[in-house]
Order: sequence, then C-alpha cells, then structure tokens
Amino acid sequence: MSLPNLWQRIRNTARDRSPDVEFQAEIEEHVRLLAEHYRGQGMTEEEACLAARRQFGNQTLIQEDRRAKKIIPVIESLQGDLVYAARMLRKNPGFAVAAAVTLTLGIGANTAIFSVCNAVLFKPLPFYEPDRIVMLWEQTATGAVMTVAPANFADWRNESRSFSEMAALNPNSSFILPSQNETARLAGAAVSSNFFSLLGVRFALGRNFLAEEDRPGANHVAILSYRVWQERFGADRDIIGRQVKLNDTSYTVTGVLPADFRFGSSAADFQPRNQGVVDQFLVNAPGDQFDIWAPIALNAEKLQRGTHPLRVIARLKPGVPLAQAQAELNVIATHLAHQYPADNRDKGIAAVPLKEQATGTVRVALQMLLIAVGLVLLIACANVANLFLSRAAARRSEMAVRVALGAGRGRIAQQLLTESLLLAGIAGTAGFFLALIVISVLSPYLPADLSRAGGVRPDARILAFTASISVASGIVFGLGPLFGTARAQAGEWLKASNRVAGGGQSLLRNGLAVAQIAIALILLIGTGLMVRSFVKLIHVAPGYRSEGVLTGRLSLPRSRYPDNHQIAVFERGLLEQLEGSPAIQSAGFTTYLPLSGSDNGWAFLIEGRPPLPTGIFNFAKYRPVSAGYFETLGIPILRGRSFTRGDEREGSPWVVVINESMARKYWGAEDPIGQRLRFGSATWRTVIGVVGDVRHEGLGGEMKPEMYVPMEHAPNVESGPTIVVRTALDAGSASAQLRESVSAVDRTIPVDRIETMDQLLSRSVAQPRFRTVVLAAFSILAFVMASIGVYGVINYLVIQRTREFGIRMSMGATQTDVLRLVLRRAAALIGAGTFLGVAGAVLLVRFITKLLFQTAPVDPLTFAAVPVVLAIVALTASYVPARRATRVDPMIALRYE
Amino acid sequence: MSKGRRAKNTRSEVLQGTLDLMILKTLQAMGPLHGFGIARRLELLSQDVLHLNEGTVYTSLLRMQQAGWIAAEWGASENNRKAKFYSITKAGIRQLAKETEDWERISGVIGRVLTT
Repeated sequence: MSLPNLWQRIRNTARDRSPDVEFQAEIEEHVRLLAEHYRGQGMTEEEACLAARRQFGNQTLIQEDRRAKKIIPVIESLQGDLVYAARMLRKNPGFAVAAAVTLTLGIGANTAIFSVCNAVLFKPLPFYEPDRIVMLWEQTATGAVMTVAPANFADWRNESRSFSEMAALNPNSSFILPSQNETARLAGAAVSSNFFSLLGVRFALGRNFLAEEDRPGANHVAILSYRVWQERFGADRDIIGRQVKLNDTSYTVTGVLPADFRFGSSAADFQPRNQGVVDQFLVNAPGDQFDIWAPIALNAEKLQRGTHPLRVIARLKPGVPLAQAQAELNVIATHLAHQYPADNRDKGIAAVPLKEQATGTVRVALQMLLIAVGLVLLIACANVANLFLSRAAARRSEMAVRVALGAGRGRIAQQLLTESLLLAGIAGTAGFFLALIVISVLSPYLPADLSRAGGVRPDARILAFTASISVASGIVFGLGPLFGTARAQAGEWLKASNRVAGGGQSLLRNGLAVAQIAIALILLIGTGLMVRSFVKLIHVAPGYRSEGVLTGRLSLPRSRYPDNHQIAVFERGLLEQLEGSPAIQSAGFTTYLPLSGSDNGWAFLIEGRPPLPTGIFNFAKYRPVSAGYFETLGIPILRGRSFTRGDEREGSPWVVVINESMARKYWGAEDPIGQRLRFGSATWRTVIGVVGDVRHEGLGGEMKPEMYVPMEHAPNVESGPTIVVRTALDAGSASAQLRESVSAVDRTIPVDRIETMDQLLSRSVAQPRFRTVVLAAFSILAFVMASIGVYGVINYLVIQRTREFGIRMSMGATQTDVLRLVLRRAAALIGAGTFLGVAGAVLLVRFITKLLFQTAPVDPLTFAAVPVVLAIVALTASYVPARRATRVDPMIALRYE
Repeated sequence: MSKGRRAKNTRSEVLQGTLDLMILKTLQAMGPLHGFGIARRLELLSQDVLHLNEGTVYTSLLRMQQAGWIAAEWGASENNRKAKFYSITKAGIRQLAKETEDWERISGVIGRVLTT
C-alpha cells in the first residue's frame, strides 16, 4: 500500500459516508441505463430490469468490496470496539471505578513528579546554547571546589584556548535604593562586561555594558532586573540613560533584563558544590535573584590571589568537548601552581556544566522520586491487571462464542486492548488534571531549590509523558488477560463455561501479587531509611537555642557608614533602643548568621608557632559579632568569657573568641585562653573565651573551626549585619517592634529577611523533609495497593475453590483446617514477595546513600521491621477472604455453579 | 467466512488482470467514458465471448483509481444526467504499455506451447 493511498484510507475511515451514497447512485444509474438499453432491444419493462440486475451482478458485494478497499478495517472495527468497551465499563461500574481510580492515582502521581523534574531537570536553561556553558571553580587537593581568586580568573582567561568567552560574577554586593516610602536593599552583583553576552541575553530595554565601562572610574553604570524596573521604577520606558542613586552614588542605567531572566533558582545554585553526602543536608539560601548589576571593573588592586570572591562562567568554543577543555585547564593549573606556590599550591581547576551546577543537590532526590513513583504505577498496573484477569474469567464464554463465530486471536486481542486502552485513556486524562491540582496545591510548600517547579505549566512534553505512560500501562495490564485467554481453546472454554481459571492464569495472578509485595516493600524500606535519616537530622543539636529568636538583616549605606566604627556606633544605638523594651530579653549582631547561607573564613597565624610551609594555612571561619550575640542565640560559653561592651570601645585591646573545634584543632590539650593570633591585620588578638560549636551550614553540616571578633575590629567593613533578638513576643509584634526601633535610630536603614530562627531551621531541612514526605506518601499508596492486590488474589482463590472447601468440610475438615489451607497459600505469596523485596532493596538502596544522613543504607532496624509490618498487614488482608472460606456451607458449596 | 473470501479473490484475480488491461485500453482509445459506456464498449468488442458481470467494472475502476492509473470527474451524460467520467492518466498510459507488452509476451509463450 503506497503512502498517499494509506493516507486516503485513513481519511476515508474517518470521513462521513457520503462517498458511499455517491457510489450507490453511480451503480443505480448504471443499472437503470442498462435496463433502458435492454428495453430498447425489445424487452418488457420487468424483463429489462431483471436482466439488467443479473448482468450487473451483486451490488452489495461491490459496495462492500469498495469499502474494504477504501478504509483500514482495523480502525473501522475499532469504532465498534470502542462503543462496546464503553458499554462494558458502564455495565460494571464497580470494576470500572476501581480500575480507573487506581490508575488515576498512579498516572497522576507520575505526571506530578515528572512535571517537577521537567521544570527543574529536563528543561534547558534559558540561555543561548546552554549546553556549552560551564562554571569554573578552583579545586583543592582533596577535590573540594571553591570560588575563584580574581588574579586566577584573569590568568585563566588569558591562557585558555578552549573557551570563546569567560566571564566573572561577584555576588557579594548589595545596593540600597532610596525611595519616598521605603528604602530597599537590593541584591546586586558585579559582572564582567561580557557576562550577559556570554549567556546570550536579549535585553528588554537598552543595552549590555560596554567593554570600556568595565574599568575603574567608568563603571558607574547599572543594569536592572525586570522586577525592579517594574516595581521600583514603574516600568518607565525612559529609564535608559537616567541616573539612579544606589548606595548614595549615581549610576547610569544602561539596560533592563528580560522578565524571564534568572541566574539560578536560588543563590545556592551557584555556590561551589561538592558531590558529597553532606551536601544534601546543607542550607540552600532563599532564592534572591540579583536585581542590580554593575561592571566588576577588575583593577590591579582587585586582582588578588588570596581572596576568592568570584564565580566564573565560560562558553566552550564550538566543537571543543568538555574533556579537552578540562585537560587544558589542568595544564594551566599546574603552571599557575608552579608560578604562585603561595596561593595556588595543589590547586586544580574544575569545569562543571552549568546545568549540572544548577541542579546539583536536587537531582538525586528527584531521580529517586521519579523511580519511586514509577514503581507505584507498576503496582497500580498489577492491581488493574488482576481486576482484568478476574473479569476475563467471567467473560470466558463470551470470548468462546466470539472465537466460535470466527474471530481470530488478533481480533480478540484488539478488542481486549481497546477496553484496557479506553480505561487507561480515561485514567490518563483524570491523572493529568489530578497532577495539575496537586502541583498547584503543593507549590507553596516546595523547598526553595525546587521553586522553579512552582510555575510549572502543562506543556507538550508533560502531555506526551502522560499519554505514553497511560498507553504503556494500558498495554501492560491489558496483556495479562490476553495471556490468560490465549492458552485455552474455544471448545474447552465453551464446555468449561463458568468454571474457574486454568493453571496459567493463577500462575500469572500469583506472580503479580508477589511482584506487588516486593515493589511495595522496596518503597517502604526506602521510606523507612529516609524517615530514620530525617529524624536523626532534625534531632541534631544546632549549637544554639532557636526558639524565641527573631532575626533581621540591615543594610547600612557606605556613604554614611564608611567604617566599622560608624557601624558599631549605629549597632550600639539600636541595641540600647531595643533593650529599653521590656519584651526584649536580649539582642546582638552578627554578620554571618547560621543557616543564612552566607559565610566567610580567614587564614590566621598563632603567636609563637613556627612558620608554616608555603601554601599551607591555619584556616577558620570568621564571624564579626557584637556583645550579647552569644547570649541571645544561646551559644554556650565553655571557657573564659564572652564579649562585653568594653571590648568594643575604641582603643580597647583586640580580642577573639574561638569555638570548641578551633580550640581542639589548633591547641589540643593546651589552654587557648590568653594565647594570641592574628588575621586580616598586623595586630595580635588575644583569645578570651571558648564557645560551643554551631552548625552554621545546616543541621547536616560539619562543625568547623570558628573565630568571633567584635564588629569594631573586623578586617572588612561589615555593611550588612544581621540583628538577632530574643523575645517573648510573637513573631509579628516582635518584627514590628524591630522595624520601629531601627527607624528610631536611622529612618533610612532598610530591614529585610525578618525571620525567626525556627523558620530558618525549618527551611534548612525543607528539601530532606519534602523528599521524605513525598516518598512516604508514595510508599503508603503502594502499600495499600499491594495489600488490596493480595486480598484480591486470595479472595479469588477462595471463590475458585469454594466447592472444594465444601467437599473438604463435608468430609470432616474443620474450619481451622480450611483457614490454615488458605492462609498457607497467602503466606507463601507474601513470603516470596518479601524475600524478593528485601533482596531488591539491598540492591537499590545504594542509589540513595547520598540522601541518607548518618544512616547506613542497609539499616538493620529498617530492614527487619518494615518486612514484618508489611507481612502482617498483607496476611491480615488475606485473612478476610480466608475467614469467609471457613463459613462455607457444604451443601451450598456443592450446589455451587 | 475467510475461506469463502479467499476463493472469490483467486477467481476474480485472473479476471481483474485482464479486465484492467481492457478498461485501460478502452479509455485510451475512446477518451473519457462513464462506467456504463465502458461496459457497452467491452460488450461490443467481446461479442458475447466474454461474459462480464458489469459490477466488476466498478471494482476494477476503483482499484485503478487508487493506483493512480485513471482519474474520475463528474460530468453530464448524453441525456444530461450526472455521471462520473473516467479518463486514463499518464501513469495509466505507462501501465497500459507495460501490461500490453506483458500480455503479448505471455500469450505468445502460451500460444507457442499450445501449438507445438
């Protein structure tokens, strides 16, 4: 059959019947003419008609022949099958609803998870040829990646040949935008002038930075995010070229980014990311998108090798594979290590595809959920297949009649598949809408790093996914009955009429039940592990008391608060203001709040120790704080004393408080109190106290050496301190009081990110909680479906053997005997399923090792408890029909059928 | 049921092959004709040697239409009734040439076999 011909046939199949009528008319006209022709030869009217008909032959046959030629018979019979299938479903509403609901749940859950994966993992990043964009990191000898020193960035850019462009971004800047009603702090970033052109951004208004604007002195130009342009500048189209005051300095606006421009869904997307277990449990900071962009203007002063503030992106030249670029980077790294041993010793360069970077920690979790939800669908299919098998047995005589009337196996298969696909189609449609509802309901609860899924819209890819899993599951559960029916011969079926299924079918049934138990068990064990891991995670002591603490970030403009002294004066003023209120128990400042996602560290020297070899440093996290910080957050003072106001006074001796880890690591058994160290400046700082460790990066994070210094003596100007307040007030009135107090000291200072410490803690475990809860929901669904599956199989077995039980009981078997008989069969199925499930779980858990916090993948408790619980429930489910078997009245059973 | 259809198919197959050829030739020689006209022409030429169910002409026409050898168009018949006129296409002319050649070759062979 040629292609156009096939197309013609399809069209004819679908089209109305008017060609038939036309053809009929043509034939009739022919016969009429023929009759006329014969009349002309002298026949009578009647004779002529008869002769004409005879001469023409069988009209109906020709018409049918024509139709068969014009259409595809399968499709035509499909219409009949569909009508018939719909009728069958309507006639068995119980069956139809049970099967449709089971499948809808399975398909809906799959579509929902796929939509999230689609939005977060599968959709290409919204940049020009995003696959060729990589992020470059410095890499230590241990393989850990870190942000990049400006001087190194400059060298990489000059020496590499694999990249068409390389650009740097420094996210550590913020801008204060004054306005009549409310001064706002906007997240800002400094970028090289080629940053946006490398990504391939088309500006909504205006233009990118020019290369000459990327120089010190010429760099007072800014690019605005679409959001800020809309909200702060009233979408004014004349904004380009206008001056705006940022941090009390004038900037000329050169461009506005498009509305959909996002660089990462959260700031954490572009943190150096190590592929370790711990990574899955660290805080992902709230997803601030940058609102103000300015040129980075790297000059000799900024081109240092000792500080590491930069994120570097690069575009691979066409045709250069990642491995080749990486090889070149390795050579450059070796060269730089040789040239600058003090800073670059043992430093490598790691190139990470942007996509991988942007989905690092959620990828594993989402893949796990996608697999889990796929398993749920398998169980659902098994349940529906079971329902179909039961019904196939009931429809045996119908099939027998069909075969006897000449239906081939293909024809029967077509009809059965039509029924299962119709059901799958209904369930698929319902599941699709179910998924849309679930996503829109759950969106607000998605953890920050999945927030991209919040705006999930049904697209062609999701529709295609739902359609294909629906069709696939329709075929999967539709095939079961086919295998069941194909074995027997029509004659046997007719004779057997209403008698029970043959061996082939019950084998299939038992297999399905065993598989369901095994899959449900794998999911439950996975859930058990995740729950245990999560419980362990949230029971980790953070090192501070989170309840009753409110935090808020302040932004002090450089123009009026140029140095730490001015800042400290402001802070003291605010603390005094707050402490005047009876509801405030205590208050303090820090620059790097635990769980905030921001952090900093410094290399230091200890007085009196021999000098360290080149390129080796003592390193500790560094935290400028105010007096009252430890007390407010409830960080215990273990030795020595805390900071007092006296330590912050001008001219007071420089002091430092260290944490337990730092004391242990650098002093061991020695007492660090009174020892001196220095960093960031030549002045020695005396250790005056040791405080408890704090899990700064999240509950799953490691304890790292930390040193605290008074704000006044911090080596950097700390313009964005965070205030912490311990109060008995509820969060709402406490934050109102905080805002009030701040504006009492300086009306123009914006306060943002007002959150309680408990909120921060809760959000810090949002992703582990999300994946645990979702997996638990799937497992429970799987568990219920599998239990129903076992019930169904045992129930069927009881119906099947009612007569036999009747005979047994009339021959003297007791109820207990019958009960034992049925339960033994159930126990065999459950035992086999449990065994396979445990074996499968042992094989599969290693894929979720990364997602487990302090929990061994083959956790003995989980592996022992979960199968027992599952087995008990499954056995209980089979007890119900088993019980019914014992109540069989022998007389009725014998007359059965 | 299926057996019956197969038997009919084999019988009409032989007929169809030659019928197609004859109809193509007729259309080439006479120009556009309706089904009735084709049947009359064939009746005339066969001179009662060949008995033809005229309905099968339509089956053949349909098949050749699908193969693209002939085209159909609505027009008015001699006594001004609506009728479908069939005409031979370029592909049909090629087919006719090919089938004529085949026919001559095969009938030549059969003729030789039968006469020796």
